[in-house]
Amino acid sequence: MKLAVFFSDWRRTEDTYERLKADKLGVILLGNGIYHAVIKEGGKDSPVLSKAGASFYVLADDLETRGFTAANVNAKVKVVSYGDIVDLIMNDYEKTAWL
Amino acid sequence: MAELTLGVFPSLVGSMSLDFSFKLAEAAMAKGHKVNMWLSGNAVMMAKKGQKAFKDYSHIEKRMKELIAKGMETTVCEACAEARGYHKEDVPEGVKRASMDWYLAKTVKTDRLLHIGGE
Repeated sequence: MKLAVFFSDWRRTEDTYERLKADKLGVILLGNGIYHAVIKEGGKDSPVLSKAGASFYVLADDLETRGFTAANVNAKVKVVSYGDIVDLIMNDYEKTAWL
Repeated sequence: MAELTLGVFPSLVGSMSLDFSFKLAEAAMAKGHKVNMWLSGNAVMMAKKGQKAFKDYSHIEKRMKELIAKGMETTVCEACAEARGYHKEDVPEGVKRASMDWYLAKTVKTDRLLHIGGE
């Protein structure tokens, strides 16, 4: 299964996320979820970015709304537009989950 | 062209996810996709017409009407609306009311489904 997971919040409740398994996994960060792409705690990346084999994306509009730019984003994460997210949903992933 | 169904549950005031839902719908339609939107839970606040647009405050009714005019099928959960005091006469033009059967039927037929959780 090709699964796209949406994170819209800066929560530390990754239990469900950690249990998710997919042949191909994409993680889309939006809303307050963008903080996973830009914040380090104790010098460490967010645990969300530690999922092995996953591809990570962050919504540009929500970064900018919160005062960040692409220059602030973790190198693991690709900055995307709304149109890019549509393409990810329609072309790259079969199922979606909103955490 | 493919079909995308959005199940939308967050309120306009409680989070920015309702904004996201409509912007994603707009982007999908701009790419030629058909979009169905199911508004349920606190998202049924979109079932109340005449909401005032304030400066620097999210106002989605105008965008919703534009997307409906372009073909987005938009339905609110009738029970969720009634539970919050939004009645048939309150519904903006072009918005339908139905039971959850409508959403279930869409989830079976659609090419892609994104269920956007509420607060």
